[in-house]
Amino acid sequence: MNFPNLKAALINSQIWRSIFRSGIWKDTPRDRAGHVIGNLWLHLHPVRIRPRALQWTYTWGLGGISFLLFLILTVTGVFLMFYYRPTMELAYRDMKDLEFAITLGKLLRNSHRWAAQAMLVAVILHMIRVYLTGAYKKPREFNWCIGVLLLTLTLFLSFTGYLLPWDQLDIWAVTVGTNLAAATPFLGYEGPFSSLLGVHVANDVRFVLLGGTVVGENTLLRFYVLHCVFVPLVAGALIMLHFWRIRKDSFSAAPLALPGPRSSAEGAAAPLSSASDEEKVEVWPHLVLREYVAAGFTVLFILLWSILQNAPLEELANPTVTPNPSKAPWYFVGLQELLRYFDPWIAGVMIPNLIIVGLMAIPYVNPNPKGVGYYAWRESPFAIATFLFGILLWFVLIFIGYFCRGPNFAWYWPWESWLVHKAPPPPTWDLPLWAGALLLLFYFGFGILGPRFLQREISFKPAVIFYWIFAAAAGAAIYLFGFTAGQVAALFFFLFVYYLFGFLMPQRYLRDLSWPRYLTAMVFLLMMVGVVLKIGAMVGFNLHYILALPQYNFNI
Amino acid sequence: MLRKLFYLINFSLLAFFLLAIRQDARRGWKKYQSRYYRMEIARLEQELAQSSDPGKRERIQEEIRRWRSMGLQIRQIILRDFDRVDRCITCHVGMDPFANPSLTNSFTENPYQAHPGKLSSSHPFPRYGCTLCHQGQGLATEVAAAHGAVRHWERPLLKPPYLAASCARCHVNFEELPGAKAAALGKDLFDKLGCVGCHAVNGEGGAVSVDLGDVADKPLGRVDFSYTGLAREEWSVKNWIELHLTRDPMEIVPNDPQGKFGEPIPPSGMPPFYRELQPSQAQALTAYLLSLSHESVPHEYYVYASPKPKPRFANPVEHGRYVFHKYGCQGCHGIGGARGVRNFNALGPDQTRMDQGAEPTLTKVVGTYTREELKEKIRNGVPSSAVVKFNPEGPIPPLYMPPWKDKIQGRELEDLVTYLLSIAEKGQWW
Repeated sequence: MNFPNLKAALINSQIWRSIFRSGIWKDTPRDRAGHVIGNLWLHLHPVRIRPRALQWTYTWGLGGISFLLFLILTVTGVFLMFYYRPTMELAYRDMKDLEFAITLGKLLRNSHRWAAQAMLVAVILHMIRVYLTGAYKKPREFNWCIGVLLLTLTLFLSFTGYLLPWDQLDIWAVTVGTNLAAATPFLGYEGPFSSLLGVHVANDVRFVLLGGTVVGENTLLRFYVLHCVFVPLVAGALIMLHFWRIRKDSFSAAPLALPGPRSSAEGAAAPLSSASDEEKVEVWPHLVLREYVAAGFTVLFILLWSILQNAPLEELANPTVTPNPSKAPWYFVGLQELLRYFDPWIAGVMIPNLIIVGLMAIPYVNPNPKGVGYYAWRESPFAIATFLFGILLWFVLIFIGYFCRGPNFAWYWPWESWLVHKAPPPPTWDLPLWAGALLLLFYFGFGILGPRFLQREISFKPAVIFYWIFAAAAGAAIYLFGFTAGQVAALFFFLFVYYLFGFLMPQRYLRDLSWPRYLTAMVFLLMMVGVVLKIGAMVGFNLHYILALPQYNFNI
Repeated sequence: MLRKLFYLINFSLLAFFLLAIRQDARRGWKKYQSRYYRMEIARLEQELAQSSDPGKRERIQEEIRRWRSMGLQIRQIILRDFDRVDRCITCHVGMDPFANPSLTNSFTENPYQAHPGKLSSSHPFPRYGCTLCHQGQGLATEVAAAHGAVRHWERPLLKPPYLAASCARCHVNFEELPGAKAAALGKDLFDKLGCVGCHAVNGEGGAVSVDLGDVADKPLGRVDFSYTGLAREEWSVKNWIELHLTRDPMEIVPNDPQGKFGEPIPPSGMPPFYRELQPSQAQALTAYLLSLSHESVPHEYYVYASPKPKPRFANPVEHGRYVFHKYGCQGCHGIGGARGVRNFNALGPDQTRMDQGAEPTLTKVVGTYTREELKEKIRNGVPSSAVVKFNPEGPIPPLYMPPWKDKIQGRELEDLVTYLLSIAEKGQWW
């Protein structure tokens, strides 16, 4: 009996055919289609796909890589659960066992740790890519929202996992993070207006999160269950929905063909119908092979990283010894940096929640159907510029918080030694209540109405006039109020940011939106620019509160 | 292209996974353990060649078979009383009571040698383990990590003479223990220098500075090493203590006397001892201080001492001198009250700088007091707010006289005053 006959006999046997439906591989379109349809893992794919969707530079495989990292984390996480006991006495020791005694334990923990970091980055990059290629637009708005929720869950998964090794790094990072919850308006004991509801330290949201008033045994157990069971289940359900929606929307974000040169504007806005004469290609092998290569590179990357670098582990957690500085995990360190400029209820609660809501609002606010399926810089300059500005702001704050903050959260250059002692920050001042209230009213009132009612195109000339007026005002400020050149530069920079993002761009691109869309967009935009302006006021002029109502802990 | 990538990735994944397994399979401790087995077998084979007694040969062959069949394994001692796991014997096989029941061998080098001395009979290793005395990181199986010479492990290996600190933790009678001489010498110096005048030990002593009862447990997170000039890997409680004795504490803890960062804060008030202490004395004192820990030890591990008999004095001056030393008065006023130590920014004689401020030199000043005034002074002390500053803008001087009325009373107070009046210089005041 020769080999082909043996193979045929095997494949045609009842056992084989009961497991794999298809018979001997003949490499026909039917076989390839059968491969995709008849396979549980592959059947989420269509049988045929537009060649556009195969281009690396279109998706960079980021969604798939994020999911692969989720799978790696699930597998390594389950293995880690065999060795890990979530108690204060044993958790840290189990980390040491993984490092020193368990076969491949170090690799296991390292790969879990690094895959988690990589997943955060991949998920964020995936979101940026989807945004830049306009893939959030109708009919995919809801799926974009699910994606935003999945991003939040990824952050929360990482945050809950952060505590589990039970070392100094973790409990203080989690202390910083959960103390922010105490500043929730109404529901946190340090938050504005919480006294009106009788909320105190032992019944607020932080207490629910920690299972106590400090990070302790209950917190560890809570975070363990959240990290290993609760959040992965929710995330898994949402991931299924996310994938299913992509499938149901027929992968519609990839356009039929690249739009032509700039002149053919209708090419970009061409209706995306399946009645195209474009030749589609088979998913097997074209897409599957590419996915495999991307997955292989990802696993290789995590493996190499885990071989080369160990996951951090500091001293055993000690609730009585606070490291100076105590920093939140890197992805929240931007919010921690904002604590320099805002009270915790804004920096730690309002801003992250508004970011989430604002991201979810984007597809409903932006009615522009153009620029789907390619990097549409010119079709939507406002949408892309403001989004990238927000992303840049987030990462600049993370950079500052992570690399430029030392003991007492004072400013240290990345190359500067933390052993140098720094002077405490200069004293700050607050605006009087009436001035603050007027300023806020003016900022939001004029900020919202101004761009809408100034219907002319703004030409270059007013900008030149504005420049000279500003130069004169700057000279007067230096002369009259003793401003330093740095303060004038700060004033110029931050006012320019406002002028560009808060006035000029919406005046040019937003003023014709319908009122609900316009209002939503402007409120979120002005709040984002407002964060930058407040940072400028603090850095340049030591202005702490614009509006202060200390009796309610309500300070802006 | 993609096909090539496909193969490239598959093969590199396999290669790096095998590399990871190889790295894991060739951990450092295996080298030491197999080397120990080989050395032991070679020694036994030599013994076998020299032996002719069949019974003995049989025993040696049995022993060789035992070593040959012993696999490479993580060896550990689980100390239930201390909730510790010590894996030191993974490399130090000669000290593993199961692999090497006699706990002796002829090797002279670490990690192969058996535990020197006869300690293993009085401190059976299955009960005491290793890190209880030697410290270091018992769970680790890599050289640097196990010896605690890594960041984030704050209890590095204790070496002699500091090792005596571990004896003194359980042996309350360590002053009579032959092996703990350094700790005993340190305790002696601690008493002689009057440290207890400012530093209480578990509540016994002055409250001018920190209680040293758990100084060995001090977390490094609470120590500011920035002025010590120590490299990061030398940051340890041991070095922190010893530097206070071998250098001027004012250099190590300068704080902010000029008020550059806010309210002026005086530097450490601890007087410099580096001139009067030999390096070995500083080490001994450090060893004693390292024995002061609040780590819990089950009571049956303690060796108690009978309390020392109280010295009796017929002469009130002798008794007064004893009281003076018992409460550590010489810590600030000098031995025999002969030299007041530095007190930053306190007004002292012939002063031109803040750091020339000093505590009163008793021999010079007690003569200006009557017996009753002196008693009042001792009873009520001088709070730091009442210490006269040299520079009124400068920091509050760090040292002050605590009120002693709850501690020094009755006969002790009477005789102390008698003693003090006896040391007053007979000068112009009389």
